[in-house]
Amino acid sequence: MANVPLDIDVLVGAALAPIIGVVAFWFLQLLLIEIQKRMLLKLRHRHEAFCRFTNFIGILFQTICHALGYTVTRSGIAAFQVTVNYGKVQPKKEKTGVFEWIVNSFLLIGPFFIPAGLVLLFSYFVIGKGFTFPTPVHYTFVESLTNFGVSLSAFAHEFIGFLTHIDLFNPLHVGFLLVLLFFGLGIRPSYTGEERKEKIDMIYDLKNIKNHLVQKPLYILLIVLFIYAFYLISLFLNPRLYVALFSVFGWMSLTAIIALLLTYLILLLIKTTDEIVARWKAIPFITLPVSYALARVFFIYYPMKQVESVSLIVMILSTLVITILLIKY
Amino acid sequence: MEKKYLLKNEQIERLLSPHPLSFMKLQALCIFVIVWGIVVWWLTEFSSYATIFSGNGVALWYPLMLWGLVLLLVGVVAWLVTIRLSIFLLYLAVFAGAFGLIYWQHWENNTSLFIMVYSVAVSIVGFLIIELYRRSHKYIITNLRIIFKGGVLTKRERTIRYDKIADIDAKQGILGQIFGFGTIIPVSQSGFGLGSDKSFAAGGVELGTKKAKLFGFAGGGKEVQTPIARSYYELHGVYPYKDVKQLVEGLVQTHVPTQYQKEQVEFQKQQVDIQTQMRDLLHKQVREKPWGKAVEQANEEEGREGEENEGEEKIVMKKTIAEEDSLPLEQVDIQKQMKELLKKQKTVRVAEPEEEEVEEEDEDKEEGKEVA
Repeated sequence: MANVPLDIDVLVGAALAPIIGVVAFWFLQLLLIEIQKRMLLKLRHRHEAFCRFTNFIGILFQTICHALGYTVTRSGIAAFQVTVNYGKVQPKKEKTGVFEWIVNSFLLIGPFFIPAGLVLLFSYFVIGKGFTFPTPVHYTFVESLTNFGVSLSAFAHEFIGFLTHIDLFNPLHVGFLLVLLFFGLGIRPSYTGEERKEKIDMIYDLKNIKNHLVQKPLYILLIVLFIYAFYLISLFLNPRLYVALFSVFGWMSLTAIIALLLTYLILLLIKTTDEIVARWKAIPFITLPVSYALARVFFIYYPMKQVESVSLIVMILSTLVITILLIKY
Repeated sequence: MEKKYLLKNEQIERLLSPHPLSFMKLQALCIFVIVWGIVVWWLTEFSSYATIFSGNGVALWYPLMLWGLVLLLVGVVAWLVTIRLSIFLLYLAVFAGAFGLIYWQHWENNTSLFIMVYSVAVSIVGFLIIELYRRSHKYIITNLRIIFKGGVLTKRERTIRYDKIADIDAKQGILGQIFGFGTIIPVSQSGFGLGSDKSFAAGGVELGTKKAKLFGFAGGGKEVQTPIARSYYELHGVYPYKDVKQLVEGLVQTHVPTQYQKEQVEFQKQQVDIQTQMRDLLHKQVREKPWGKAVEQANEEEGREGEENEGEEKIVMKKTIAEEDSLPLEQVDIQKQMKELLKKQKTVRVAEPEEEEVEEEDEDKEEGKEVA
């Protein structure tokens, strides 16, 4: 059992720190999603199929989360339907009260974390490092926040390290990159409904979550009490547990943020290629894999260090140059 | 389509062919071969498991064995799931081709590289064949019918008139929803366009006997009637799906008579029947006024028949006598019948057509239309 000093900072402040961290990262995630949606909106008129695809992934994630909610509350699933425009989950038994609230929580908050959790699980097998939990010493708010930050920083370092050294000749790496991109593109759907398109933006999400939370303040109080009880227990049994729990949520947010940043590059490339003459439009997309493959083959005969990273740089630069040339001439 | 193939007053509404991604099920078979070929190459040359595949003798064949085993396994699974033996046979042929080439050309030392190149080459050929197959499909929607044409070597054609379409089945997969294409199956009144899905399992439980068959096959289970047709007998993966569906549904609607039209046809048919009966009665009345002539005519006609058969002569004589006796009564009877017919005509105008008449309508539909 840890030797814990009993003061207000330890008993209240330290418990709040990781929660604040998670909320901050989640807000950042929301902001980046909003930027992505605005980018997609500009592309929509020319790339309707692409936008429908991203919307389908978003609706798929949302519907899976909804179905998961019904499974957790043991309501059963009678019907499950996902289309490009909407998703539908029908429970076997309609439960009310706390069960309904849990299902709605899965529907509203789940899409931000559950798919990210699955990608995080995959990243554990690909990256395998960076999942660290610092041990607290002083149990203060600042230390708790720092530990949360350190945990996230270690993960981000490994993740970025992996991305900059990614081996695109490795099917596992390519698979992970594709999963990451698909997840980033469809983290949230842009709209629902076929006829009357209801726009889903940051305000829409926040409003729904706020209404959901305000609807049952007692449940929120219970959750806060539960979290606090967990904090106190972990404080005396294993102080790393509490921060670890929120660090996982932080990693999920971080995974989503990295995925979103990667998708920006894809969207930017698509938007840029729109300025190229129709028959040459495919050239930058062909240059991307071909230049990488050529670089890798070149480095087989002229070996050097950091082959993967250099090949990536060659790929990015050659695509950039060719795209600029195609736009100019 | 050349105009000489069109019927009189026929106009082409739309010329269609399947969307390039509508044969994704077939293209997926090629994609799998490419991906698996590259994975095997990476696994045996660059991965941490590469040492397992290095060595001489039998070890040289390990990459081919691994590649072939998974390929055939996937082929068997796809065969059982889709109930298409051709998928397994295709993969078997691909594997046999690779094995034969390595053995013939003695490429045992470079099997993994060969597998990768071979997989890509075979898949490219596969893609080209699928594209050729896709391009062989032509769907012509005219104002009178839908013409389906297809087939690479054997040319097939199906024509269906809109009034013969009993049902329209439309489906749109995820890719279809994203890219805006879909499949429309017009089911004819004869049931063309309907198929059955029958489950078939290997090593399953035999239906009824509850005995597990570990070796061999056990069929049985469900057989469900579903709209199903070959791609050249349906509007397979047509783009833009919604517009085409709307167009076909609209054309079917215009060619199928509505309930009101059916009632009108039935009504007119009844009117014509009544008028025909009245005409017959009038003829009869006019004919029989100079009764002697009528009897003579009747005798002549029946006498002619009697010449052929002498045995019936006595009966003819008896008939003539009976007609002579009932002449004044017959005139009254004709007038009565005419009155009844006039009454019926009046009531038919007011009343709805009866159910029995509606049932009869199907049989005499063509006749009714002509009358209308």
